[in-house]
Amino acid sequence: MSEVLEIQDEHHVDLLPTPDNGEGGEKTAMNISYGKTMMWYFLLSDAFTFSAFLIAYAATRLAQAWWPNPNLVFKSFPGLGHTNAPLAFVSVMTFILILSSVAVVRAVQEGHRMNQKGVMLWMIGGIVGGAMFLGCQAWEWTHLIGEGLRPFYNPFGPDANGITHLVEEHMAVSPGPIAFGALFFGITGFHGFHVFTGVCINIWAFIATANGTFQRRGHYEMIEKVGLYWHFVDLVWVFVFLAFYLM
Amino acid sequence: MSSHLSEEQYQSGVKAVWRATAILSVVTVVEVAVALILGPHLPKLIMNTFYVLASLAKAFFIVGEFMHLKYEKRAFMLSLGVPLVFLIWAIIAFATEGHYWNILNHPK
Repeated sequence: MSEVLEIQDEHHVDLLPTPDNGEGGEKTAMNISYGKTMMWYFLLSDAFTFSAFLIAYAATRLAQAWWPNPNLVFKSFPGLGHTNAPLAFVSVMTFILILSSVAVVRAVQEGHRMNQKGVMLWMIGGIVGGAMFLGCQAWEWTHLIGEGLRPFYNPFGPDANGITHLVEEHMAVSPGPIAFGALFFGITGFHGFHVFTGVCINIWAFIATANGTFQRRGHYEMIEKVGLYWHFVDLVWVFVFLAFYLM
Repeated sequence: MSSHLSEEQYQSGVKAVWRATAILSVVTVVEVAVALILGPHLPKLIMNTFYVLASLAKAFFIVGEFMHLKYEKRAFMLSLGVPLVFLIWAIIAFATEGHYWNILNHPK
């Protein structure tokens, strides 16, 4: 009886026989815990959602005779004014997100060693990286909105030679394909929303770690589940980066 | 109950992660460098093929190493990977359709 009481805490009551809720690191089908399995299948469904958006983007773009050149649309860098630095800022954003993902992998590894301080330290890294990415995205959106890009208006149009220009009064450039703005804000916004929720979940996981919840529970599987979501955000960015900035 | 790792396993795990980080960073830098240096000179088809392959390589490293899928059971990997095969159909079908709209809307 005393043994049973010892392994109880507020989250984990071992009075019922198996199967438990998976929180106990219980192995189920395919030798992976229930909680991680379900996170993976949620991410699979989310992958289909993002794929649907990106395929819609591809179909819409292929249906146009002309599309803005990303090297000429995304060429600004904060603090450099009217600069011509194609891909520079978005590369910085990509790098921030990769490093943030790495920090969370390190947190998972420290969790396997039951190193509470280590998990907390690396989770802070993940949270800061995510927040920095959101800041970068906020700057980029503000900049593009400042240039006139809207969900239903695209100021990046072709000149007589098909070169991308920003529509300005004295220039003979007509607006570009309308769908560009809606697709850009819609898809990067949906990704950004995932980053935002990921940061919130990471903050919650950090607080729970600091409170010793997982230490008492005897394992840090929650950090692994939270981590899976966070890496998925990084994974999606690879394809958003491909579709909007490279191709 | 929890899976406590030996020091050796831990060290090799940490090493694998930094290796994956280095590869992801290098692939991204190469992608951007190629886009800026070769992009204006090479045909779009070659550039896009390169970007897609580089992105898939990055995706495999993120899923395999960071998300640890490489170390899960094969049956589990297949249960996630096989449904994604439908996307190959979707990409081909919608790309073909999009291209067809283009021909309809902008006759030469």
